[in-house]
Amino acid sequence: MPLLSFFAARFLARSYRRLAPLALLGIFALAPPLGAEGLPRHPLSEVLSPPEEIGLDERLGAHIPLDLNFVDERGETVVLRNLVTGPTIIVPVYYGCPNVCSFLQGGLAQALPGIRLEPGVDYRVLSVSFDETETPATAAKARSIYYATLGKDFPEDAWLFLTGDLPAIEALTSAAGYRFARRGNDFLHPVAVFIVDGDGQIVRYLQGTSFLPMELTLALVEASEGRMGNTVRKLVQFCFSYDPEGKRYVFNLLRVSATVVIATAAAFFLFLFLTGRRRRE
Amino acid sequence: MTDPTPSAAPISDRGFLARKGEGSTILSWITSTDHKRIGLLYLYAILSFFLVGIVLGLLLRLELIAPGRTIVDAQTYNALFTLHGVIMIFLFIIPGIPAAFGNLMLPLLLGARDVAFPRLNLFSWYLYMTGALLALTALFSGGGPPDTGWTFYVPFSTRTTTNVSLAVTAVFILGFSSILTGLNFVTTVHRLRARGMGWGRLPLFVWSLYATAWVQILATPILAITLILILAERLLGTGLFDPAQGGDPIMFQHLFWIYSHPAVYIMVLPGMGVVSEIIPVFSRKPVFGYWAIALSSIAIAAAGSLVWGHHMFTSGMSDMAILVFSFLTFVVAIPSAIKVFNWVATLYKGSIALDPPMLFALTFVLLFSIGGLSGLILGAAATDIHVHDTHFVVGHFHYTMFGGTGFAFFAALHYWLPKIYGRMYNKRVATWAWGIMFVGFNLLYFFMQVVGIRGMPRRYYDYLPEFAVLNQIATVGSWILAFGVFLMFGNLLRGVLSGEPVGANPWGGATLEWTVSSPPPEENFSVEPVVTHGPYDFREAGLL
Repeated sequence: MPLLSFFAARFLARSYRRLAPLALLGIFALAPPLGAEGLPRHPLSEVLSPPEEIGLDERLGAHIPLDLNFVDERGETVVLRNLVTGPTIIVPVYYGCPNVCSFLQGGLAQALPGIRLEPGVDYRVLSVSFDETETPATAAKARSIYYATLGKDFPEDAWLFLTGDLPAIEALTSAAGYRFARRGNDFLHPVAVFIVDGDGQIVRYLQGTSFLPMELTLALVEASEGRMGNTVRKLVQFCFSYDPEGKRYVFNLLRVSATVVIATAAAFFLFLFLTGRRRRE
Repeated sequence: MTDPTPSAAPISDRGFLARKGEGSTILSWITSTDHKRIGLLYLYAILSFFLVGIVLGLLLRLELIAPGRTIVDAQTYNALFTLHGVIMIFLFIIPGIPAAFGNLMLPLLLGARDVAFPRLNLFSWYLYMTGALLALTALFSGGGPPDTGWTFYVPFSTRTTTNVSLAVTAVFILGFSSILTGLNFVTTVHRLRARGMGWGRLPLFVWSLYATAWVQILATPILAITLILILAERLLGTGLFDPAQGGDPIMFQHLFWIYSHPAVYIMVLPGMGVVSEIIPVFSRKPVFGYWAIALSSIAIAAAGSLVWGHHMFTSGMSDMAILVFSFLTFVVAIPSAIKVFNWVATLYKGSIALDPPMLFALTFVLLFSIGGLSGLILGAAATDIHVHDTHFVVGHFHYTMFGGTGFAFFAALHYWLPKIYGRMYNKRVATWAWGIMFVGFNLLYFFMQVVGIRGMPRRYYDYLPEFAVLNQIATVGSWILAFGVFLMFGNLLRGVLSGEPVGANPWGGATLEWTVSSPPPEENFSVEPVVTHGPYDFREAGLL
């Protein structure tokens, strides 16, 4: 299934590039509905070689500022210091993201019930929107989606969905080395979460959209002990550029060389078999 | 076979160890085309690398004795397991039995004076040494020791700044050594059998070497191509494995495992051959199911060449491909089980002598069976996804490769070294060493499998606190195992240097190597032997 969707995305992405000139004619407005199913909304060239302004510079050991104000999904102003009281998973997303942010948070929501730590006691999750235009209402909608996945045993205040103003957002993301860029209503951004300990020190980054419970547990245990871990799994989260024609060429090469090897070996065997053993003089 | 009476050679006749006119200078050894000398050259080199590999393995286990950083940091740990893998696989297990004991014994078992291409044989040893020294150089030069794991998976291996290029070149050269040895052995078996030795009278070790040699010839070129592609990718940036340039990283895994899965049969088949030699001799019975064992070697070689995809169930493959590869993997279990059942049937009602070679051979059967059955857990797609990339895989691999091939190698040492040097080791100490190794081995790898099935991933220097106890048991096991290994080597070394003279046929074997003096003379047989009975026909040979 992933393979299929991957091909589909690739096919659509290619057509999209061909369609791009038509955008000048105003048809561009029709494109977003097409993009609803995992299709990259950004021009392909940008996806393949992301501009300098976005990226993730891992700042292990750095501290995030804790005196920042955000608004939670109930509309109440919260100070980061009161939320980051122990190991905390910080999830930079924007709730209106049509694409990987929902995979990211969905992956987290699937993995969290599988870890043997007590949510809300041993750790907390904070989704933080880097879109300053988003409101507690959008955050609340996102919350209802992921809490449905988490199940009813997951405590109310263990995963908060924050929104905030631009200075607070930038203070947080730049401290974590997380660089994103706005493109119209959407964003180009890395796909990653980071884990901080109770002092706000960054102990680990986890990249990609799916998480093993083991990875999360290990990161949280490290955070509770103030240890730091390297990023063990780096997953570049961009569309594969996949060239079936090139691949076919390679497979032909493989087939030809395999035939030659097997034919030579068979000839060698026949030669040995037919000429029999050597007699000593 | 020929006159079976032991010739009770005086040990003053040092046979090929001291050639007339040449003496025993280092130069006379490294320019010798005598298969036995080349075999010993391989043996010395292989054992040296084995000791290096053991030390690296002990360091890995020591790091895992407690969660978090214990003795090394993460990057060093990555380098350690890569080196442990590369050295153990490419420098010890693959050449271990075929290159060392194949060279030492194959012409003797066939009644030949030497292998078909003696000079090529020496050249293969030089290739092996060149590759080995390059591999060791890779540790100390360039951007630091490779940290990719022995599988060199892309895209990491094409991007890491460590010394992968040199290590890959080393393995490439080692591959050529392996191909040439295979070519040599195939030709030798076809061409140089003694009069009267039909295919039905080949010793089973020869059958296994023959099957192995074909796999070496057919599969190793693919490894060579794959490694060249890595080099092209690293040095020229060809993009064959880089999706951004239209390449495919999964293709690397296919190419790598098309060689490397058959390679595990290159590793284990000769071990099975050794066991097939030893069990009849120490049961004083003809082997049960000669043709079944002989042809199952061929069947393993053939079927084993078609199962590489089972390494990639989680890498992205169609469900159909997963089903087919999973099915073929189960098919390989059939000839393997045929061998095990025939060995057990050979033991049945035999007059079993538990001498050290037999103890090691029987241990092979047990440990290889455990390793083989845990392999089926990995070969079944559904369970594989659960245990993929955990310590369970590491434990499985060590059960088959160390418990299997390693113990077969030790069995071969205890079985044939008295022949080669004409002196016997202390059997009591050898038995103790065996017992200690058996206990240490199972503590180490059994608990490694348990911790794996509980979810501990492999290739991490760190783990969750709940895995601590099991890891500590395994680490203690590694110390016991290493103590046993060093005791065994010490005992063998003492035996080789100053053991009791053994005469031509200490074990009462009916194959041709036991008809010549120990150590064997130059050119093996003064007159060409004529074979009149099967390799395990002890009654016909006058040994019962």
